[in-house]
Order: sequence, then structure tokens, then C-alpha cells
Amino acid sequence: MAQTESSGRERILARIRTALKTPAPAGAARHFSSEPLPIFAPISDALERFKLECANNNTELIVTPDSGASAAVLDEVLASLPTGEIFVQDAHRLRRLALSSQRRENIRWSNEGAANENAQAAVTLAEILVAQTGSVIVSAACGGRGASIVAPVHIVMATASQLVTTLEAALAQLREHGTATRNSYLCLITGSSRTADIEKILVMGAHGPRRFVVILALSEN
Amino acid sequence: MTAAQDFLRNAATKSADLVHRQIIRRGIDHYDAAVRGGRLRFLNWQAAREKCQDIKREAMNHLDRYLEEFERRVKERGGRVFWAETGEEARRYILELAEARGVRTIVKSKSMVAEEIHLTSALKKQGIQVFETDLGEFIVQLRDEAPYHIVTPAMHLTRQDIAALFKDKFGSMGTDDPKVLVATAREALRHAFFTAEMGITGANFLVADSGMVSVTTNEGNADLGLSLPKIHVVITGIEKIIPSVEDLAILWPVLATAGTGQPITCYNTLVGGPRAANESQGPEEFHVILLDNGRTDLLADPQQREVLHCIRCGACLNACPIYRNIGGHAYATTYQGPIGSVLTPHLHGLNEFQHLSQASTLCGACTDVCPVKIDLHHHLLHNRRNAVERANRLWPERIAFKAWRWTVTSAWRFRFVGWIARRVLRWSYALGLESTPLDPLRAWTMDRAAPPIPATSFRAQWRKQSGAN
Repeated sequence: MAQTESSGRERILARIRTALKTPAPAGAARHFSSEPLPIFAPISDALERFKLECANNNTELIVTPDSGASAAVLDEVLASLPTGEIFVQDAHRLRRLALSSQRRENIRWSNEGAANENAQAAVTLAEILVAQTGSVIVSAACGGRGASIVAPVHIVMATASQLVTTLEAALAQLREHGTATRNSYLCLITGSSRTADIEKILVMGAHGPRRFVVILALSEN
Repeated sequence: MTAAQDFLRNAATKSADLVHRQIIRRGIDHYDAAVRGGRLRFLNWQAAREKCQDIKREAMNHLDRYLEEFERRVKERGGRVFWAETGEEARRYILELAEARGVRTIVKSKSMVAEEIHLTSALKKQGIQVFETDLGEFIVQLRDEAPYHIVTPAMHLTRQDIAALFKDKFGSMGTDDPKVLVATAREALRHAFFTAEMGITGANFLVADSGMVSVTTNEGNADLGLSLPKIHVVITGIEKIIPSVEDLAILWPVLATAGTGQPITCYNTLVGGPRAANESQGPEEFHVILLDNGRTDLLADPQQREVLHCIRCGACLNACPIYRNIGGHAYATTYQGPIGSVLTPHLHGLNEFQHLSQASTLCGACTDVCPVKIDLHHHLLHNRRNAVERANRLWPERIAFKAWRWTVTSAWRFRFVGWIARRVLRWSYALGLESTPLDPLRAWTMDRAAPPIPATSFRAQWRKQSGAN
């Protein structure tokens, strides 16, 4: 098996190299100027853009002044859900949040194992927020792979300092900061799970969360 | 019956089916409106297409180097890469893996490559249960059908059809509300996600500089499938490679806009290996199967190499006047529409599938909408040329073209044959042979009225009119 495996690899690579010895015909000249045209309009205010995009893509964005206010909002959102397991990323910042005692009882921390099939909500941090598309980037570090997708409600606790203007800058940051090397899994989430496979009619909540909530604190504290 | 005869029969039936045409028109009208809006979000859509074309061209021009870089990084994370020369090899690898690990249940997200190599039926034959988890794929799987469209597999079905199907499979339904239907499918699949031993996904892109596979879904089904089971298998083609993770900053929005009109798809996931040592959840094994299956032959043809740039967005299907009338199943191929007609002869043989290049008006709508600027309608012409050069053509056709060439390469022969033809047509129509099997223009007059036959040639009419002025 190992033998055939490696020879298949060598044969494919050899065919590629032989094929590429003949260059493709050059593409027709396209621009009159050498400067490529801008593809997206520039973004002047990242936070405003993020708010606008979230409103368009069905992300419930709640902006708060600081982490204390964010904790209060989180408590309210959790109180509105049916009783059941709340899966929470085991992170210092989330352990520190002052939640009411009823909520605390139902918490399952991510270091205790994967979320249960019937978890009511997942609460995680994010790596980066992207203004251009109103998206959140999570990694395996954010509660483990699948944490953001298993429960019907996913709540992200974020701060304004995590906001990056363009998708290109966000992806560059993933590479430069080694996030893509450290994590086996990354996901750019934009809004809640959806499908339009039946008559192209949009239905929210396919396999992933029906509600995607981002609680964004303007201050780090 | 040959594939060509099948195609002609299917196309005739489907294009005469008014209900089918109404369903497909509604689907594509919906898509067209969404894409019109989606493109407005780009300051310059043409510049975006050119950028995507540049990225894919760079990737194809150094395909060996980028694939090796990708493989090295996947291995560094503890993943395995298998290079499959044929669909048979790819299937065997997955079957052997499933057998060795005692896999009974597989959750699968949408993959055109899996369709290409008939993976699901091979797994089922081994007694393994395979759940298609994309809603559209789930529906066509329940109906035991092939996907109708690359992006929208169940586009040919109404909600009533789907409600009836679900009622048949899951019991009482009582409504055809899409919300209820989606919830039913979610419930039906949820248990499978939590019990399956293996998840199979495709790949939208393979990112060389980070050794990660990019998978895009709106439903989140691929994310569940690559998070919960203990083995994750990626089945994909070698041409999916791109150089850098930053290339996704343009490819993700362009794929979404061309595919559905969305600014960006809901879940754009990057996965590079099994669960790392410091990670709490995720599969223990990660396998990537890189499939050739004729792709290096396409690469070896410099004129058609760019066909490998395709990102499978489905835009050319939606734009194609042929697809819009005959729909996806009439093609009876894995890839339908213009890209399918270009690709299929390369994957499954020019001789059997040369007819697909003729299933085109050469209007160029596919080329206009292609987000990576593949010159699709010219590739259909290339395929026609290749068919004449390499495939078996019927001898009457060869004789007809020889006769045509003899006629048009001399002015007097052209005039003489035109003179004869006008008379033969006039006499045969005077005898009432129009649209009978003896009509020389039978192929045209089968479905249409014959045009009036002129008394004199075009040249004579031209001379007369320009003399009069």
C-alpha cells in the first residue's frame, strides 16, 4: 500500500511537471493602466460598517460600554432561553464574568468535554471581528472545534479592539500572528445558519445556530 | 443507447415539460435578482474577476510546488495526504480506511468530486450508511436521484414535492412550509452527526501557505461533520489549490456572489489537520485525498488548461439558455451546464461525450458570468475541434463536410450549387414534401415552418439593389 501510494504521488507530480513545460498562451492585455482597479469601496468607520453588516446578515449585535455591561447582557440573553446546558469556553475572561447563580448551575465548561447534543447555548470568545463582512472569526481555541455550531444559540463575547476593517487584513493577521498555525480549525462566521435549498426560500437555522449573538464591549475593562 | 441519444431524448422531453420549465425559471429568476444585488457590493466586479483569474493562474502555473507545500504542512500537523490517480484509487482508499476503523455511519457534506467518483454508492455497497447532510443533497438522496445543479441540488423540486417525500419517509407532515421541512431534516440528521464515526467533506480551496482546506457552507453541515466524528476525510481535486490564505479575501466573496448572490457565505471554514494536542475536541484522524482523474491531461493542453480554474459556483449553469430549458438531469453527467459540457469529455471520454459541445448556442453568456473568467464558449469550440480530430465521427458527416468544402472553395461551384439547391427545394415543396422525411431541410422543418425559398441568389439580389440606388 505504502509503495503504490508514493508512486501514485510521483506519477501525478511528474505529469504536472511535464504538462507545465508548455506554457499557457499569455492572457490578453487587460488594463490600460498598470495599477489594478480597487475591488471594494474603502471603509471609513469600521464599527459603523460592522453594525450595518450585522444588521444585514442576521447577526444580533449588542454593543456595550465595558465587560461588566456585557456580562449583564449575556445574563439577560441566557435568561430568555429554555433551561438546559450552557456550553462555555474555558477562558479566564469568561470565568471572570459575573453571572447570576441560576445560570452558573447550568454551565458546562469546555475543559469538561464537548458540548452535549441538547445544549441550549454556546458562549465563546472570538479571534477577530471583520467589519467589511460583519463576520466573526473563531478558532479551535474558542471552546474547541464545533463549539460554535452545535447549540441552537451561539453567543460571542468580543471587544472593539478585535475589530479589523477588511477581510484581507483579518486573514493576513491570522497568518502573521500564527493563529492559522496554532489552530487546526478556523471559521469565518457570518450570521446564523441558513438554507435556501427549498424553492430558493431563505430559512434560518439549518444545522447550525438559529441565533448568532455578538456582545461587543467598547472598552477592554 | 448511446449517451448522445439519451441526451437528445431527455432534452426534448424536458424542454417540452412546461411545469419543469416554470420551476427552473422561478429558481433562476430568484438567483438572477440576488446576483444583481450582490455584484453592486463590489466597487469593480470586473477587477474582482481578474484578481481571481490571476490567483488561479498562478496556482496552476506552479501546481506541483503548491501541492507539495500543502502536503508538507498537512503532514506537519499530523494529517495524511493520499494522491489518487483515478476515482477507483480514491474510492478504494476510503473503503479500506472505513473498513480498518470499523466505520458503520458516515456524515457527508456536499462534494462534486465525491459525485464524480460515485463514492456514496461504493460505500453503501460495503454496508456503510451514508447521510448526505446538505439539505438539497439530503432531498435528492432520499429520492435516489443525482444532484440537479452544482449549488442547488434540489432546484427541480417544489416544496409540495419535498413535503410529499418527507411524509413518505418520516410520517405525517401536514404542511409544506419550508421552515417545517428544514426542521424535519435537521432532526433527521442530528443524531447521525453525533453517532457517525467518519465525516466526509469536499474542499472549495486548498490553501498552500497554511496547509488548510477551505470548506464553505450556509447550513453549517460541513462544520458539524468535520468536528464531531473521529475521522475526517477530505475528497478533492488537485486543481483546488491556491497559494495563500489571503487569496480567500477575494475568493470567498466572489464564490458567494457568483454562487448565490450573497456577499459572503455563512460558514467559511479552514481545517488543517486532526485535533491538535492542546485542543479539546475534533477528529483524531485527518485524511486528504488529492484526485487527478484526468485533470493532468487537461493541464497538458495549454489552450484548455484554464478550465481547471473553475471554482464550481454554478453561475454558468444559471446563465445558459440550454440549461435553463433542459435542466440538470438531462445531461446525465456529474457536472452539468457549460462547465460540464467542457469538462465531461476530458473526464469520461471525448468519443462518448462529444455531443455536449454541440449543446450550446455559443452565445457566450457562460463566459460573461464566469467569476474566474474561463473562456467557456471557446472551450466548447475547442472540444468540437478535438472531436473532429480525435473522436470517431460518422462517415456521412465527413463526406458532407468534404462536399461543403469543395462547394465553397470556388465561386462558380458555390453559385452553381446554390442554383441547384433553390430549384430542388422549390420543386420538393411544390410537391408537398415540406417537413416530410424527404424534405432536404428536415432537421430544421421538423419543428418549424420552412422559410420562403427565394427566386434568385443573395448575390444577384445584392447586385440588383445596389444598382438601383
